[in-house]
Amino acid sequence: MAGSSSSEVILDSGMVQYAPLIILLPMLAFPVILFLGKVFNQNPFWKNTLKEGGLIALPVMAASLIVSLLLIKDHIGGFSGIKDAVNLLWINTSVWDGGVLKPVTFGFGIYVDHITVMLLFVASFLCLLINIFSIGYMNTDPINDNRNHRFYAEFVLFCSAMLGMVLADSFLWLFIFWEIMGLCSYLLIGFYYERPSAAYAAKKAFLTTRVGDVFLIIGLVMLWDLFGSLDYDVVFNSENIAVVAAKSSGTLQWALGMMFIGAVGKSAQFPLHVWLPDAMEGPTPVSALIHAATMVNAGLYLVARMFPFFGAESMNGELVDLAFIIALVGGITAVMAAAIAFVQNDLKKVLAYSTMSQLAYIFTGLGCALYLANTLDWHNDSEAHYIVIVAFGAALFHLFNHAMAKGMLFMASGSVIHEVHHAHHHLHHHGEHGDDHHDDHDDEEFDAQSMENMGGLASKMPLTATAMLVGSASIMGLPLIGGFWSKEGIIANAWRVAQDDPRFLIPALCVLIGAGMTGFYMSRMWLKTFAGKPNNEVAAHVGPTNTWIKIPLFTLTFVTLSAVLFAGMGFTHWAPDSEYGFLSEKNLFEGIAYEMEHAFANHDTFFLILTYVAIAIGAVVGPGLAMSLYGGNLAEGEQTKPWMRPVIRLNSWVYGRFNFDNSSIAESGLTRALEQRLYFDHYYDMAMLKIVAAFSKKSAEVDSLVIDGAIKKIETGSQSLSKLIRSFTTGSARDYILMISVGTLAIFFFLWGMA
Amino acid sequence: MIEPSWVSALSALLFIIGLGGAFTRKNAIIVLMCIELMLNAANMQFAAAAVHHGDATGWVYTIFAIAIAASEVAIGLAIFLAMYGKHESISLDDVDVLKN
Repeated sequence: MAGSSSSEVILDSGMVQYAPLIILLPMLAFPVILFLGKVFNQNPFWKNTLKEGGLIALPVMAASLIVSLLLIKDHIGGFSGIKDAVNLLWINTSVWDGGVLKPVTFGFGIYVDHITVMLLFVASFLCLLINIFSIGYMNTDPINDNRNHRFYAEFVLFCSAMLGMVLADSFLWLFIFWEIMGLCSYLLIGFYYERPSAAYAAKKAFLTTRVGDVFLIIGLVMLWDLFGSLDYDVVFNSENIAVVAAKSSGTLQWALGMMFIGAVGKSAQFPLHVWLPDAMEGPTPVSALIHAATMVNAGLYLVARMFPFFGAESMNGELVDLAFIIALVGGITAVMAAAIAFVQNDLKKVLAYSTMSQLAYIFTGLGCALYLANTLDWHNDSEAHYIVIVAFGAALFHLFNHAMAKGMLFMASGSVIHEVHHAHHHLHHHGEHGDDHHDDHDDEEFDAQSMENMGGLASKMPLTATAMLVGSASIMGLPLIGGFWSKEGIIANAWRVAQDDPRFLIPALCVLIGAGMTGFYMSRMWLKTFAGKPNNEVAAHVGPTNTWIKIPLFTLTFVTLSAVLFAGMGFTHWAPDSEYGFLSEKNLFEGIAYEMEHAFANHDTFFLILTYVAIAIGAVVGPGLAMSLYGGNLAEGEQTKPWMRPVIRLNSWVYGRFNFDNSSIAESGLTRALEQRLYFDHYYDMAMLKIVAAFSKKSAEVDSLVIDGAIKKIETGSQSLSKLIRSFTTGSARDYILMISVGTLAIFFFLWGMA
Repeated sequence: MIEPSWVSALSALLFIIGLGGAFTRKNAIIVLMCIELMLNAANMQFAAAAVHHGDATGWVYTIFAIAIAASEVAIGLAIFLAMYGKHESISLDDVDVLKN
């Protein structure tokens, strides 16, 4: 490992040597749960007391979280250049480099900086909460009986890989953990492998992300070629970057671009987004953890990790195109996914498209931040420095807010689905569902995930409804709640960059329009599920949820609502460089006041207007339209918690006052296209059939003719040759004597001739 | 003193007789005797060369060769006994278990 440059500050944190525990504990729990589950399957103690492994995973994840928190405590308040590292030697080897053997060390190490800290908290915190949720969700469903150990084993393996990816100190290890996550995602989506749709979705997710991963590995090989190493210490070293920049900055841009394609696949962005909605076939905790809160953030993490390349002085202005592509992919996906979310009726699918759309926001934010880092002279100019860290921090803060809110939304949706399913089950088995219509009550046809089967649940499941309301508000960016701070930051920065480079107008417009679309589909989802009258008898019989499910919902509601505190601490990365950073002398209230002023009374007129336009679109127009189309008042005699009453009342007023007939839109070609997910799957399937299948057929022909033919030729040839040789061995001693003497004579004459 | 070339010629003659016998006879014991003849032809050549050069190495080789030949005979005879037990014959034409 090359030494780090002197400008970098290395914190000497005692905790960092315990950091490998964060990864190792869950990694060790994986075989333990799997083995015990196999041995003690159906054992009552294992099943009821240990929850089929759930209570083994729980303390492990709690320990990981505690070590993570201690580690984070030492590092909070650091921005780029402040890092902590520990190296655990793994293997020493050599590579042939230009005629000399060069020693290379492949070691595993821990690398902690501000990006790590952010994701480490998100990952370990959500892993624990979703573990708690899983115990309430998985162990109460008879369909999972006797195979939950498989779920928990894969769950802890996933957590281990996610935490490992965040903590790893080289792109090589990042890639290894990245692939382990892909594997766990595949296994968990296909948890109900007896369902063809789940098996198909698992395959689709695995193969689609594989497309991105191939590009990622190409990018990593190019990076290795440029730097001779994949260790962060080497590739992030500003001197090394300067050497590479002088030699081949174009190649570096290509390498990073290839890696970005990997990120696109993992984070389900256009055009590799098709796997995410299908991934909802997995159990809901999996959707919450892997496909909303953590694994899909891996792509963002990878792009955020590229910051040192964009921020290097020697690369100034060289990587603008890549930054634009990142922002553009984000912008397109943000609008596209939001549009598809308009017409989805499956509760989880709405959330899946919302995830895609919000991840796209973060990509746009990162693209803009990287553009700013790449073009501004932020190393020397303190004003530029502030702009860069605000932009970068806004993107990362949105990652944080989105992970918290979306994890909560998925858990809440899971609890809704769980209870709807139970209610249906209950009715079905007690024959109480009357004899009036309701064909959808048949087990095969009843879809517990469809919002058509819900409605008016606000009074039945108050905590879930509250969690869902807060989560939706955070995703929509209602002022003061969670995602508002970060989303406004992303929109503002997109427009700031657009003033500088007109190409960025496309993503900037996309994120602004997307804010309104988010407002619409999130409100639509909440209203269809919780407001209005129950759509059928099942919805009318839904009961409250169990304690295991309530704990994480409550915790995350609290975290989402307190995002204002994080914003006040200077979400701009807990940065000591920022005047209002977590560790600065200014206190929390001053920080919050500053944030408020910054958000609502910006001195720059352009940004002031932009903020209010975004708020108007996202918090008034979008939800207003949804209110006028869906929902209405609750059923007679149903009461809900006081804090939800104004929402319900506003909704029924808007619904009564502005309701209009949208059937012409609902039946238009665009809607149908959206319902068909813009035909992406259709065209991908067609491309598969036309190109891949044809190519495979040709390959099969080549295989059978050329390769098999050659092998068959070798085989028959060697057989006839061996037949010939076999005829020499007559078994007669006389012939052998003859051969020996002839051979000896031949050697004799040969030696004689030589002499 | 006998000319070394005469001794060489004699040993060559002995060798060829041994080789010819090994080729043509089918009785295993006779083939073994022929092989001994060839070995002794070589020994004679060693001894002659030792006398000619006044070097004891040749004698030493001869002694070794005789010792090895003795053990070889013991093994050979043991094999023939086993062969007889199995095939009721020690004719080389009757055994071709290594064929193909």
